Amino acid sequence: MQQRRILDEVAINHELLRGNLATPKWWLPTVLGLLVVVLFGFTLMGIMFNKGLGVTGLNRPVYWGLFITTFVFWVGISHAGIMISAILRLTQAEWRRPVTRAAELLTVFSLLTALFFPLIHAGRPWRIFYWITPFDFARGIFPNARSPLVWDPFAIGTYLTGSTLFLYVALLPDLGVLRDRTTGWKHSFYTVASLGWRGNPRQWRLQTVAGILLSALMLPIFVSVHSIVSWDFAVTPSVEGWHSTVFAPYFVVGAVHSGVSAVVTMMAVMRWLWGWDNYIRPEHFDALARLLIVVACAWLGFTFAELIFGVYSLEAPERALREMQMFQWPWNLLFIIFFLTAFAIPVPLWFFKRVRNNIAMMFWTSILVNIGMWLERFLIIVPGLSRKQPFVFTWDSYQVSPLEWGLLLWSFAWVMMLMLLFSKFFPLIPLFETKESQVFTTDVKIGRVNMPAVIRELD
Amino acid sequence: MVTAAERVSSHKWGMAVDVDRCTGCQACVMACQAENNIPLSTEDIYRQKRTFAWIRIERYWYGEFPNVKARFIPIMCQHCENAPCEPVCPVFATYHNTEGMNVQVYNRCVGTRYCGNGCPYNVRFFNYWEPTWPTSLRNQLNPDVTIRSRGIMEKCSFCVQRIRRVSRETTRDGRELQDGDIETACTEACPTNALVFGDYNDDKSRVSIMRNDDRKYTHLDALNTDPNVVYLAQVDATGGAAGGHE
Amino acid sequence: MVTSSLITDAVDERPSNIEATATLAGEGRTAVSSGLKLFMWILAALSVIGIVGIVFRFINDDGRQDWGYYAATVGWMLTIFGGAPMVAIAPALAKANWVRPVARIASLGAVATSVLALLLIPLLFKLPALTEFSEVLGDDVRRRSIWFDSPDYAPHFWNALSLATLALVGMFMAYVMAIPDLAAIRDHGSGWKQRWAKKLARGFHGRPQQWEWLKMRIGITGALYFATLMFVNFLFSLDFAVSMVPGWKDSVFPFYHVITSFQAGLAFVILGAWASRRWGGTEKFIGQEQMWSLGKFMLATTLLWFYFFYSSFIVFWYGRSESDTATIKLLVSGPYIYLFWTVFFLVFIIPWWVMIWNKVRDSLWGPPIAAVIILFGLFLDRIRIYVASWSAVPDDLELATTSILGDMPETMWPDIFDIFIMVGLPALGLLSILLVTRLVPVVSLWEMQQSRLISKPIRFLRGHALLVGKPD
Repeated sequence: MQQRRILDEVAINHELLRGNLATPKWWLPTVLGLLVVVLFGFTLMGIMFNKGLGVTGLNRPVYWGLFITTFVFWVGISHAGIMISAILRLTQAEWRRPVTRAAELLTVFSLLTALFFPLIHAGRPWRIFYWITPFDFARGIFPNARSPLVWDPFAIGTYLTGSTLFLYVALLPDLGVLRDRTTGWKHSFYTVASLGWRGNPRQWRLQTVAGILLSALMLPIFVSVHSIVSWDFAVTPSVEGWHSTVFAPYFVVGAVHSGVSAVVTMMAVMRWLWGWDNYIRPEHFDALARLLIVVACAWLGFTFAELIFGVYSLEAPERALREMQMFQWPWNLLFIIFFLTAFAIPVPLWFFKRVRNNIAMMFWTSILVNIGMWLERFLIIVPGLSRKQPFVFTWDSYQVSPLEWGLLLWSFAWVMMLMLLFSKFFPLIPLFETKESQVFTTDVKIGRVNMPAVIRELD
Repeated sequence: MVTAAERVSSHKWGMAVDVDRCTGCQACVMACQAENNIPLSTEDIYRQKRTFAWIRIERYWYGEFPNVKARFIPIMCQHCENAPCEPVCPVFATYHNTEGMNVQVYNRCVGTRYCGNGCPYNVRFFNYWEPTWPTSLRNQLNPDVTIRSRGIMEKCSFCVQRIRRVSRETTRDGRELQDGDIETACTEACPTNALVFGDYNDDKSRVSIMRNDDRKYTHLDALNTDPNVVYLAQVDATGGAAGGHE
Repeated sequence: MVTSSLITDAVDERPSNIEATATLAGEGRTAVSSGLKLFMWILAALSVIGIVGIVFRFINDDGRQDWGYYAATVGWMLTIFGGAPMVAIAPALAKANWVRPVARIASLGAVATSVLALLLIPLLFKLPALTEFSEVLGDDVRRRSIWFDSPDYAPHFWNALSLATLALVGMFMAYVMAIPDLAAIRDHGSGWKQRWAKKLARGFHGRPQQWEWLKMRIGITGALYFATLMFVNFLFSLDFAVSMVPGWKDSVFPFYHVITSFQAGLAFVILGAWASRRWGGTEKFIGQEQMWSLGKFMLATTLLWFYFFYSSFIVFWYGRSESDTATIKLLVSGPYIYLFWTVFFLVFIIPWWVMIWNKVRDSLWGPPIAAVIILFGLFLDRIRIYVASWSAVPDDLELATTSILGDMPETMWPDIFDIFIMVGLPALGLLSILLVTRLVPVVSLWEMQQSRLISKPIRFLRGHALLVGKPD
């Protein structure tokens, strides 16, 4: 039974601005700790630029490895924001409200992180402008529009721009609140940032229309981004494990799986760190877990199709690839871990209401999903490359170097640090959504039951 | 997109490899190394699985002990008409020229290595390190060939520097280019003439004749790459022509 | 009821429970309009023509390529009638209130699915065994399929079993969802309907345990139906299309089949809602809101049609390997190119540009028009897929066991028996549904009453709104 909390608006302001108007004690040490890891990561990148990509474990034929895996992983995580904000907004799911800001934020920051990887992964990173910008400079030629690697910057750039706008539009009313409660330079900052927000009817209408329009516009972009990332692989006929038509929807659903799980992780952390027990409630975890069950089952269907069609062709190299991917050491271990963590452990657990409403359990299962989803990308990218075509003479394996592990660690620290920095200046739970939710929900009494009810606009 | 048939060019360079003649002596590999300033594949590099060999001899064992046979297939860039490496390059660093060759423009390359993944023959090589040569070898570097810096892709160029030089010389002298005027480093070094280089547009050239041989096959037909390097199958003494390992 | 000061009561114009009972379960609905009677007789005549078509198809049978149009028709009916019940399940699982008036129409699709299970039988006779090539090429040579080393007739067995299961689960679900209505007919109706309803209602009196039982059955059969539908689409699309074409390796195709099934199911429900308003006297129950919501979902599936089609197309087109180009040629640019472009416009371009306008979506005439276009387009799409695959009979068996399609088959045109089949079988399916609606009301009475119970029109400040309860 969902319990509606009745909160008054002063309390909402007070509690949700806890991290902005005052600094929690743990904030500075945590950010400094993360900064150390981040600086360490940048040092590693510096070493890589200085010495060359030889410092990684990449070789021939495994030209892509952990960096591209991590790129796909973070692009996947970024799909959470639009999934939750746009789709749930358009379908008027009431429980989305406290989650939206965090999800959008995750989209923006994980995209910023994902962008690093293909760029530092290039052999000559100082020349990538020839690749990512559609301008012919002095060379007289534009980038090659036939290359999926050129579609990537366009797709991700559009997605990043769109989701930043989306985040900003949803932030405006809260910036107005912050402007009114700060002094000094902060006040000036919020004054400029809130774009003269006063909360008059016209502004609210514009803000709502912009939100809905952006939601609808972001949906096709959301689908296209991970489809294009998947086509980086799928359009290559030479690599058996990659050339599969299901890749686009498979990657998109996998991205939603990992992204929504990441939102669950983040919500649990937010609830613990800032004590927002009145806002992030077990029922939100319950709803997210139900959504995750559906997504995970769809994802399993796609995985099954991908594997069965891999064996379907009965061609020798493809069979060798699948045998290595699933049955040869150490890939079989990775494959088992991948399957257990991405599906077999969390999904059956989510079928229990007690697990869905238990925040610690949700936290750990969502972490498991993301371990599994990272491994999934790794298991797609690397075995395909190391067992390419029937020329067994060139088959080879790949060992991840410590530097690559370091940069994987860096990516997590970097996202977390950006999040914490953001939380210092902007509220992580949208104030106006919470207040709107107070107005739009009520209780109805049917017989002896008190039932939560929502108001649907008809006009 | 200009198709192969529409390209106006007097030459279409290609190579024919008679697998039956190949003894696996690796002379072509060494010649190529010397001609094209290929970075040294030291023991260290070998352990990193990053060796360079624009042409390599793949060795496969056939049969059951004690009747085991080694078979050799020289593999270099196949200069596919329908190359999977070309469309995937984001910066046009690799493209098809009008003479049937798949060419690599080192200056354009940013090193995404996508072409390396796209190549089904694994004949594209990435410079993970800045190439270095010991002082004793400095003077043997070929001044006609660019030394590739780190972070870019390289591959067999059909010794394009030789093609250009001979073309210039024939134009200067005002004579027709004859079959056999141009020899790549590997064909020149091959003691059994297993490797032959020439012009497919010249019907009488050796490669054209070999391309019409009954033993002719190309690698990975199913991928539709349409390579300009053709192979002549090994003749099995016990009867029947055994192809490569396919 | 807890009301905040923002909410005031509004006039409730929905039919009262008494009125709804009288219209949907009372004696008023025993009369059959002469138009509907005539229509059902026409359908019966067409069904006979269809059966004649099947018989003559068996007589004039020159190999499996002659059965392409039959397979296409069966595939089309599976797409529509199999997908329709999903419209009843999916929103119900998400607690959507708007779906209640059309849930019955959707669930009745299962009735036609059971007819379809019978229509599968001739097709099973024509489906080649896994050992099709073994006579010529040796015992160990089998045709490429997802069945690998299973017994020779594994696809026949599993397809028959899964489609029968789908029909059974669907019928059971439709029946369970109809029980409270049958009880209402027992209590308020008369004549043969009352007698039948009494037998079928199985003593349902609306006790709390009985409602619990009902809710649980609907939930379980709903989930089971979805799983079976996925499985059936997966098997049917692979065994009756993909694996019959050497070299067609398309892992997204089963999902493409599922998506078209949802699209066709929605189109079917929209047309059913329109027809029941027009001829069934249900204007008071099915309104613009249903059309609007169904239309939104149909627009979404229309866009997904393109997404799934494009996912496979770009991989083939960019891949350029021999099997890739052959697959594109067979299905898109080769013998059926005109058909493909017609499909592309009917299933994607036209519905997209029609349904993207809210004015069209939020109307009583817009979604039905788009639905007709989509259903016709999907019929052509099934022809493009199944006729092409059934005509790809390999001449060169060596090639057929590798991944390359040898010679491109020629365009197959339907003969007169194919036309009989294409007209007759869907008529048979439709007739079976109409026959059932003589007993079961086309709008679910209990869903309407529950909807009245947990939602109510209100005024929110100066606007009109609906207050909807969210039970667990």
